[in-house]
Amino acid sequence: MNTDSSKILVVENLVKYYGTGENQVRAVDHTDLEIERGKFTAIVGRSGSGKSTLLHLIGGLDRPDEGKVWIEGKDIFALKDDRLAEFRRKKIGFIFQDFNLIPSLNVWENIVLPLGLDNRKVRREDVEEVLEKIGIADKKDAMPNALSGGQKQRTAIARALVTSPAMILADEPTGNLDSQTELEVMSLLKSCVKDMGQTLVMITHDEMIAQMSDRMIEIEDGKAVNC
Amino acid sequence: MKMTTRVAYDNMKYYKSRNILIGIAIVLTTLLLFVIPTVGKGMADYQFAAVRKMYPSWHALYRNVDEETVRQLAAHHDISAYGLRSDAGYMNLDDADVAMMFMDAKGLELYKMELVKGGLPEREDEIVVSEGILKELGQQGDIGDTITVPYQVYRGGELDLTETKEFQICGFFEDSDSNLENRIYTSLVSEAFLKEEVPKEDIAYRFLLQINDSDKTTTDNIEETIKNIAGQFGISENETNINMEYLAANYIDPVTIPAVIVIMAIIMLAGIITIYSIYYVSMNQRIQEFGRLKAIGATRRQIKQIVLREGLCVAAFAIPVGLALGTLSSKAVMSLFIRMFGDESEFMRAMGEIVASGEVSLFYWWAYLIAVTVTLCTVYISLLRPMHKAAKISEVEAMRAQGTGKKVRSSRKGYEYITIGRLTLRNLMDNKKKSAITIISMAATGVFLMVVATVLSCANPRESADSSMVGQYEISPIIEENDKEHPELKWSEVQKDNPMDETLRQQIEKLPGVEKVDTFSSIKVTGDMFMEGDSNAINGVPEEYAKELEKGIERGKVTYEELKSGDKVIMDSALNHWYPDLDVGSKLKLTVHDGDREYEKEVEIAAVGNYRSGLTNYAWLIMAKEAADRLCENNADMYFHVIADKDYDQTLFESLEEIVKSSGKIQMETWKSRYDNWKSAMATTSGATYAFLGILALISVMNLVNTMLNSVHVRKKELGMMQAIGMSDSQLMKMLQMEGLFYTAGTLLISVGLGSILGYPLFLYAKKDGMFNITTYHYPAAAALIVTVVLILLQILLAVGIGKSVRKDSLIDRVRFSE
Repeated sequence: MNTDSSKILVVENLVKYYGTGENQVRAVDHTDLEIERGKFTAIVGRSGSGKSTLLHLIGGLDRPDEGKVWIEGKDIFALKDDRLAEFRRKKIGFIFQDFNLIPSLNVWENIVLPLGLDNRKVRREDVEEVLEKIGIADKKDAMPNALSGGQKQRTAIARALVTSPAMILADEPTGNLDSQTELEVMSLLKSCVKDMGQTLVMITHDEMIAQMSDRMIEIEDGKAVNC
Repeated sequence: MKMTTRVAYDNMKYYKSRNILIGIAIVLTTLLLFVIPTVGKGMADYQFAAVRKMYPSWHALYRNVDEETVRQLAAHHDISAYGLRSDAGYMNLDDADVAMMFMDAKGLELYKMELVKGGLPEREDEIVVSEGILKELGQQGDIGDTITVPYQVYRGGELDLTETKEFQICGFFEDSDSNLENRIYTSLVSEAFLKEEVPKEDIAYRFLLQINDSDKTTTDNIEETIKNIAGQFGISENETNINMEYLAANYIDPVTIPAVIVIMAIIMLAGIITIYSIYYVSMNQRIQEFGRLKAIGATRRQIKQIVLREGLCVAAFAIPVGLALGTLSSKAVMSLFIRMFGDESEFMRAMGEIVASGEVSLFYWWAYLIAVTVTLCTVYISLLRPMHKAAKISEVEAMRAQGTGKKVRSSRKGYEYITIGRLTLRNLMDNKKKSAITIISMAATGVFLMVVATVLSCANPRESADSSMVGQYEISPIIEENDKEHPELKWSEVQKDNPMDETLRQQIEKLPGVEKVDTFSSIKVTGDMFMEGDSNAINGVPEEYAKELEKGIERGKVTYEELKSGDKVIMDSALNHWYPDLDVGSKLKLTVHDGDREYEKEVEIAAVGNYRSGLTNYAWLIMAKEAADRLCENNADMYFHVIADKDYDQTLFESLEEIVKSSGKIQMETWKSRYDNWKSAMATTSGATYAFLGILALISVMNLVNTMLNSVHVRKKELGMMQAIGMSDSQLMKMLQMEGLFYTAGTLLISVGLGSILGYPLFLYAKKDGMFNITTYHYPAAAALIVTVVLILLQILLAVGIGKSVRKDSLIDRVRFSE
């Protein structure tokens, strides 16, 4: 068991293959990785290099064929599905490229949903503070379809932050945004994570965004080649 | 293949799960549409074949027709064939009944009777007998041999004293099992014998007839012609006997076709509601698809054709399966029916033989054609709205639609705190129309089921038996009113030495298990107001039943105390049916028959009431027992109703039977035998009805399956998202369960609620109409409970199944899922 408390995430010999025989794709191929607490790490690589699969495995959205992922010293794949879901909602915040808001819930409800799933009480002031910080306080009753791309992603960030997770995993969070909004969203995300002392792991294509990180990891053919 | 058919066929394969559900609904609809007319017609055909085998072929007979009327009737233009029969008397034998009757050759043919050898009697001393009759007579003989026969002939409306005569055997009948078993036979004598022995004024013919052109008409028309002819010759309704069994077996009953049409319409309606609602629920999901087709140039007509052909493609697979299942089920239902009831009577045995021999076919090409046509109509009607809706979709709107097909508000006040329950509620509220259609379409079948179940639950064999008998055993004297040979069996004679005395009563009351014996008396009365030959009785009801008497009063007012006066009676409403002129306040001048004494007595009808036959003992005038007893010097007690502590007790039954046998003058009926008869009849009816309703319910359950599947399919990505941000599998299951529970609760609320309310008027109608001898309302609690439990279980299983199928895809695939 990994006991180094400075390492929030340890990936050990992680393997994920899709398909068989000639059609086999080695999405993540014997990858080892360590990420320090409170740092902003960017994962970069070409399309199809396996970075998204790696992020999904780190977040426990998918299970590997081999290897282990330790988050805060816990082997997440040793957990059963329900426990893993519980762990996810307590420890990890997700931000996706296409926002993935629940269309039938308004902004406020989307944000407090992870709290509800975790049976945690909603402290109105805390949520309002997040909304203020994110800059969508006036949109709390709006439905997702009435929001701009930037507002949607701000809502998604708020949703990821509201449970105060130890780690935020972001999969190209600015991929669907224009360059102006991209910058706004990035600085917002970075500052929030810094304020709350959280670890941010982000996949990006964008060299400029990658440069904003504390550390860059390059993925090539499923392997971390430059840690 | 045409483009539209190609697209429709591909769509059918692509939307596999939904089309499987529609396919199941079509299979079940076809199954019912085939089984109902096939089994109905088959049952009727087998029954009719048995009737044709066993029943005489005359359409009607007129009783007590004199020679002159016979001559005139024979010339009537509506009568195509006629035969004659006249009962001369009976052979006087100890334990066997041998009727002696004259019958002409046509009469014999119409009665389906055949001589195994010889011919009909012509001379006054010729006779047709059977081996069984010769055995009963203790004689032997063949054609041409002489036998000595002791006999009684009808003179003055009664059997006269025994005479003896030598007859020459001219022909033989074959004995049936029933003849030998019951020792009841028929012998034929000549018309010459009849005219010689029976006084001319006492000779009464039975005129057996068949109606002209009967093969082109309905039973109702035949009946009307028979009544018309009777009316022309002053033959009363009582003297007319219409052979309904034979007519029903050979001609079209006008009620049958509408009844079958109504049942098929109900099945069709259930099919339409289900298929339509399955399409409705999943149509929104396909808005974009139709929009794209329109955008690339498909016309409205082509879109309609694609929807229609997709439905017809499913039907093309489902209908043959439905027909195959229907063919197997029909055969199985008939075999089961014959296995269950084949030994109950000679008639059922005959039916069983017909089924086994295969001489009557169960399957008709038209039944297949009807099932296919009606099912296709059902599919077509169900598709009309979806076709119209798909064709109406605008290209731009469709391309913009997010697959939800509904307008979404830009903002809304939300919950401060989200729970699984609130998530469920939010989804249901966002899909109000879809939820409502699912619930209403399922509830339509549910309401129908509950309404029918109300009638079935009210048809309680226990109550039907209770209604026909007071207590568990009914003991009464053996009475024969019109047999001169046994004058001691007339009630007036029996009364003089009535076996229903205090000693017998006490003997019965002492038996273990007997709580009490209630005695009812019966006073024979006649009167000018009643039709000639009609004799009635005053039923003396003991005081224990005073409340029931008073409660049953429909018109007028009288207390039990007043009925003790002997001047007032309650008239049973059944008598009122036959004598509508009699009512409250009518005074009846009656002749009371008490042993050898007869005297006039005037009574007033103080009230008209409706009572169970167990209480009235089929007497239509009711008085307090003590008053009825005062009308007679002799003992007028006719019924001992034995109230026992158990419905049936073998030991008590045997003890009572022993008493009955040793007396030789009394007979017994049991509550249990009546209960068993009702129970067996009701079991068949309920079984068949619930099987039908069960399949109907199954059709509509396809709705629930579709709605839940669809709801999960449409939200696959959304549910994946929720799981990605921390919703556990058990929370997902809980949410699906709650959604299903909402549909179940809504369906149950309407089905059980509305079904219970609508069931009551149907019960009142059934009661008034005498359907299944229904007397008391019973809430169909068992049906409600079964429907509730089955629906809840089904919904739980469905949610588990759907939950499992959702989890078949990995979470990340669900998150990535896009329609």
